Amino acid sequence: MATLSTDLPGGRKGAAGARMERWRAVAARWAFRLPLVFMVLFFAVPMAATVVFSVFERTMFWMEPGFTLFSYENFFFSARLENFLTSMKYSAIAVAICFVLGFPIAVFVRRSVPQVAQHRVVLLFILPFMVSEIIRVFALRPVLQRNGLVNTTLMDLGIIDEPITALLYTHTGVVIGEVLSFLPFIVFSGFLAMEAVPKYIFEVCDDLGVGPWRRFVDVILPLAAPGIFAGSVFIFVNGLGVALLPNILGGAGAVNAGLIATQAITALDFPLAMAVSAIMLATLMGLLWIGHRLFDLTRILTPLN
Amino acid sequence: MDDYANPWLYRLKWAYLLLIVATLMAPVMYVMYISFNANGFGANEYEFTWNWYALIFSDKLLLSALRWTLTLAVVVTLVTVPFAVLTAKHYKQTSRKLPVVFLMLAPLFVPPDILGSALLVFFKSVNGTFVMLGDALGTSALDGLFRLSFWTAVIGLIIYTIPYAFIVILITMGRYRSEQTEAARACGASGWRAFWDIEFPQIRPGVLSACAFTVILVFNEYTRTSLLKGGFDTFTTVLISQMLNTGMSPQSYAMSALVSFIAIVTIGSIILVTLVRAESLARAKRARPEPNATPAVPAE
Repeated sequence: MATLSTDLPGGRKGAAGARMERWRAVAARWAFRLPLVFMVLFFAVPMAATVVFSVFERTMFWMEPGFTLFSYENFFFSARLENFLTSMKYSAIAVAICFVLGFPIAVFVRRSVPQVAQHRVVLLFILPFMVSEIIRVFALRPVLQRNGLVNTTLMDLGIIDEPITALLYTHTGVVIGEVLSFLPFIVFSGFLAMEAVPKYIFEVCDDLGVGPWRRFVDVILPLAAPGIFAGSVFIFVNGLGVALLPNILGGAGAVNAGLIATQAITALDFPLAMAVSAIMLATLMGLLWIGHRLFDLTRILTPLN
Repeated sequence: MDDYANPWLYRLKWAYLLLIVATLMAPVMYVMYISFNANGFGANEYEFTWNWYALIFSDKLLLSALRWTLTLAVVVTLVTVPFAVLTAKHYKQTSRKLPVVFLMLAPLFVPPDILGSALLVFFKSVNGTFVMLGDALGTSALDGLFRLSFWTAVIGLIIYTIPYAFIVILITMGRYRSEQTEAARACGASGWRAFWDIEFPQIRPGVLSACAFTVILVFNEYTRTSLLKGGFDTFTTVLISQMLNTGMSPQSYAMSALVSFIAIVTIGSIILVTLVRAESLARAKRARPEPNATPAVPAE
């Protein structure tokens, strides 16, 4: 580039050209950083600001600068904390179910499907993921209802005599919703994680006479741990934070952090909403930090480099 | 024990995989099935009808919502995808990869309601600050800058979609060999020419999939849009408020089915096109003889 610009005739024009070039080089360098600046301004700063806003004092319709821990008190010394912990428990159950149902699929695809076809098989799971999550959650209502698809089918088959009512407007309903919403993610992240497990591992294990259980626990699990962990954290945090799941499928007592936050916004209690966001942020950071300590999460990115 | 030793186990695993996909799709399919029933959900008789769909397209409110949704999707895609390409290129060059990847992928891990309320309060307070600043300076130009509007919704949705676009483009870029850019630059091409003529054609499938992803994600998104929008409605916000206020009506089944149908057709056709293209490329490759093979040997 620089050699091209010096070809311009005339000394003054050359100098102007060189300045132009320099300016363009700086502009180009910053153009590549523009998205990062955007993300800092509109993602990192607002997320960090939740901590500041959470200690502001509540006014009638808004809040004013100050320092009070009232919102945290409001969260930790009320039924909200209990609800939050309960939703954590059910979210963890959903993660476990997703892992048991979904991870074997990732192993199977990596191991038994020819290399060229692997991505196409995983694409199958994009399909449900691309249907709006809200619609999939709403669609569960007619399926799980008293006179819904599951109950009528089971009754027609003569397996049960009267409809199971525990499927909807209970914690079970929320867990079912979480599993059906987030199962594709454990397949995707498991698929990425299995990149760290070479195919010959299976043959080596066969040759050494290792059974499937020990192969899974001692070989596959440690190698694929970072990816599995990332997928699990994703599901866990979304189970805590997606308000519509308990809102649509849950009954009494099914309240998660997302629902507390949106209810606080509706009640114009902005400091409380920000406190909940800050608590969720802390939970997420804590989980990621623990995961990074245990398995070095940067290993997930190796296939991308 | 390998898969060939026990073909039935292999088939069983395939059956399990397809069963899971079918289970994930079942509720949506069921909704589609209900949406064509003239008598709605739970009726004893099933009578096929297009009526509920006709109702959607005669509803002024819904049509305007559909227009807003499409505008939103197009604007967000026009920003998100170039941003993702820029950052992916930056990521390839930079030596400090961790901050970049953290910043780009972190929105994945922030649940919709949390991100939505954080941005809502952020925009509200920035707007308040700007109004105060405008008063002090004696101008009203700053007043509406960060009031909840179309643009705040756009910002929220860019944050939401950028990780997906970034990952898709980064994966496609992984197959690109940067020596080609170096060769182009050595031949005197400018940085932009080298990108547009050499690199872009090779990452085009990734860029197109990123566009499709972004459009569909925006089309489907409810929580962030409804928290950050000002003064307009999108398809999903109309749908959800109808469902939450009046319960499921036959029309809302038809609306959900329609949204799902659009998504399935878009993604399905992309998958099909990719498969057909890959197939025809492979066939073309097989038909062409190896460049350094001796002509006497038939190409096989």
